[in-house]
Amino acid sequence: MKSSTDKPAAGSPPVKKQGPIRFEAIIPLLIVTGLIVLYFLLFFDMHLRRGIEYSAELANGAEVNIGQLKTSLLDASVKISDVQMTNPDQPQRNRLQIGEIRFRMLWDALLRGKVMIDEAAVVDVQIDTPRKRAGRVLPPEPAKEDDGLSTTGKTLAQMKEAFSGNVVGDLAAIAAGANPAEQLQVTGEELKSTAYLDGLKKSQDEAEQQWRAQMEALPKGEDFTALRTRLSKVNLKDTKDIAQVQASLKELESIRTDFDAKSKPIGEAGKKLTGNMGELRSSFSRLDKVVHEDVLALQARMHLPSLDAGNLSRGLFGMDVLGQLQQARGYMNLARQYMPAKGAQNKATAKPVKIHKGHDYAFGRPKGYPAFWLRKALVTSRLPDGSGLSGEILDVATDQALVGRPMLATIKGDFPQQGISGIKAELVVDHRTSDPAERLMLEVGRYALAGRQLVNSPSVTLGFAKAAAATNFSAELRGEQVDMRLASRFSEVDFESAAPSTVVREMMAASTAGLDAVTLDARVSGSWSDLDWRISTNLADALTRGMSRYLQGKMDEARKRIEGLVNQRIGDQKNRLLARQGELESRFKSALAERQAQVDNLRADLDKARSQLEQRKNAVVDTQKQKLRQGSDKLLDKFRR
Amino acid sequence: MTLVLKQLFALLRLLNSDTGTNQIASGVACGLILGFAPMLSLQALLVFVCMFLFRIQIGAALTSAFFFALVAWVFDPVSHAVGSAILEAEALQPLFTTLYNMPLVPLTGFYNSVTMGAGIVSILLAPLVFVGSRRLIVTYRVTVVAQFKNSAWWKAWSGTTLFKWYSTYEKLHG
Repeated sequence: MKSSTDKPAAGSPPVKKQGPIRFEAIIPLLIVTGLIVLYFLLFFDMHLRRGIEYSAELANGAEVNIGQLKTSLLDASVKISDVQMTNPDQPQRNRLQIGEIRFRMLWDALLRGKVMIDEAAVVDVQIDTPRKRAGRVLPPEPAKEDDGLSTTGKTLAQMKEAFSGNVVGDLAAIAAGANPAEQLQVTGEELKSTAYLDGLKKSQDEAEQQWRAQMEALPKGEDFTALRTRLSKVNLKDTKDIAQVQASLKELESIRTDFDAKSKPIGEAGKKLTGNMGELRSSFSRLDKVVHEDVLALQARMHLPSLDAGNLSRGLFGMDVLGQLQQARGYMNLARQYMPAKGAQNKATAKPVKIHKGHDYAFGRPKGYPAFWLRKALVTSRLPDGSGLSGEILDVATDQALVGRPMLATIKGDFPQQGISGIKAELVVDHRTSDPAERLMLEVGRYALAGRQLVNSPSVTLGFAKAAAATNFSAELRGEQVDMRLASRFSEVDFESAAPSTVVREMMAASTAGLDAVTLDARVSGSWSDLDWRISTNLADALTRGMSRYLQGKMDEARKRIEGLVNQRIGDQKNRLLARQGELESRFKSALAERQAQVDNLRADLDKARSQLEQRKNAVVDTQKQKLRQGSDKLLDKFRR
Repeated sequence: MTLVLKQLFALLRLLNSDTGTNQIASGVACGLILGFAPMLSLQALLVFVCMFLFRIQIGAALTSAFFFALVAWVFDPVSHAVGSAILEAEALQPLFTTLYNMPLVPLTGFYNSVTMGAGIVSILLAPLVFVGSRRLIVTYRVTVVAQFKNSAWWKAWSGTTLFKWYSTYEKLHG
């Protein structure tokens, strides 16, 4: 770049004037273009394969291998062969193996920056296949501070904590001879009821202070004596004419007004006192509930579970149900992220999550392309005997409102090699409106279970050595609402149980004897932040019946001891507060009653005085009328004569 | 890489000579557009093609692109606000709908708020940057280069055999 379009430098040799176009760059440009083409021909497929393997590995949590990947620029097609996804729990096996995935994108859409796949084929899908060598498993991700640990996250975390307790193991430990409540020491600081009683004492202090001030502010006996003195001075009997009666009535009215003003607060205070004291009384009745909570908390701390079927059902299968729910929620979040519901895009406009990435606006129009649209994918897996899997996935699109159709995936068939048959699944993701909805129905007619552990604790282990299972799962998620149902039947069950204690072994054997089929029915419904869990299983019923024979006595004894400890800890304080409550009530009520009696007496006197004056007034009026009548009669007689 | 290094050395030589002012200034203006645009976009490709086809100083363009990319990153919130305002303008919706559904145009990423905002800002600033960098180059040559060439150190260095040998080599091989 020695030459220039500007004037040549002084002293430098004259250079040839060059135009604004760099003709000499055409060859380098062609070379660069050629190199790019060469890269796409030789290396692009390999790099894309590695990139997909890397991303899929992160998503899968274990090694993902792609045998071959072939792209074609001319027809914008991709063919991926022999995809193997390692099962992170069993690295020697693949959780999913796909023979071939092939699809072709439309150039018309690609030129518009969109990906549109008219038809894709997913061939030879298999699950749980062996690997030639164990796949690499990624280390578990460090627990993230889930800031969104939204109400939903918190609820699910609480449920996880509740279900992860080993209820059956704790019960077995008691059966083996442990008495968890024996060594229990209770301090006041750890009890909710102590804090509750402290609160009650504070409320009593405040009520006493408030009522003392209020009693001071109320009209006193002197006020009513003064009114009585005024009343005694009112002329009630010696009124001679109507004017005197009127004057007395006026004075009486004035006394009455003053009386009303003074007596009203006393009446109101009486009602208020009854209300306040009633509230304090009901706080005492709520104490029983708090004590019960303390007892339950101590029971939990002492691993002293309650022996009821519901509790055992949650202990046995709660984590399974929770796992399925969390899985459903994970897929729901993914679907809502990548296929946002109508209106969700506008919400993002207000506050983009990553400012450096900005926000993508969509200006789609009917029959236009969304950013991604897979119209149809056929899933097939055929075995030589004709059995296998078939299904289709329709309309996977980033903008369903534009496409006008929900995503629908159906699959049915068998995996005979894995002993799984009667699979029927249907997934509908409907994000066309602002109220996103997802529905999943999954039915598995029969699958084999082996070595499935239900209880694992030092005191006892219990599980299915083998069983044949059938499952019916459905989940409907709409907005923030959840309705998930699970019905599983485990037949031909062969239980497997072990325990160091002979008593526990006997107890478990007796509990499960004759039980060759286990049922599990679960329903989780409500909003994500407030879920209603119903889990029931006949195994829990059998365990409850069997264990209660061995445990009920010990459990009752331990529970009684805990209750005794709590009551002992709070007993003195409770009695003191109850006595004070009685004293406060009687003190203020008697003070108020005394004043109320003065009020009632004075009111009666005022009423009497009023009635006397009314009578007097009527008498005076009658006399006047009589006189007038007599006068008028005389005048009439005079005129007649 | 060789091409880039060659261009960078050429930029230094041009800066310190009396020639190529327009080439450098246009390179800086192209660098502005390049730095403000996403790396993988149609407009970046177009600027690259222009840089190769027209006599634009590539070293200046790449150096300034790096610098302006940092500036653009800092001003992304502003770009986002500008881009959002433009993309949400009611009057422009039919235009954007047409562009969005046309071939090739969506490859510019114009529908992204930051890309749109940064693109508009860079196009508006490009002529100003061209004129401003021209003036800066002239000022630089008058003040810094002239003073440097008049310094005793430079005079002593330019009198050495090594320098003379290099100058001869430079004239012969460029």
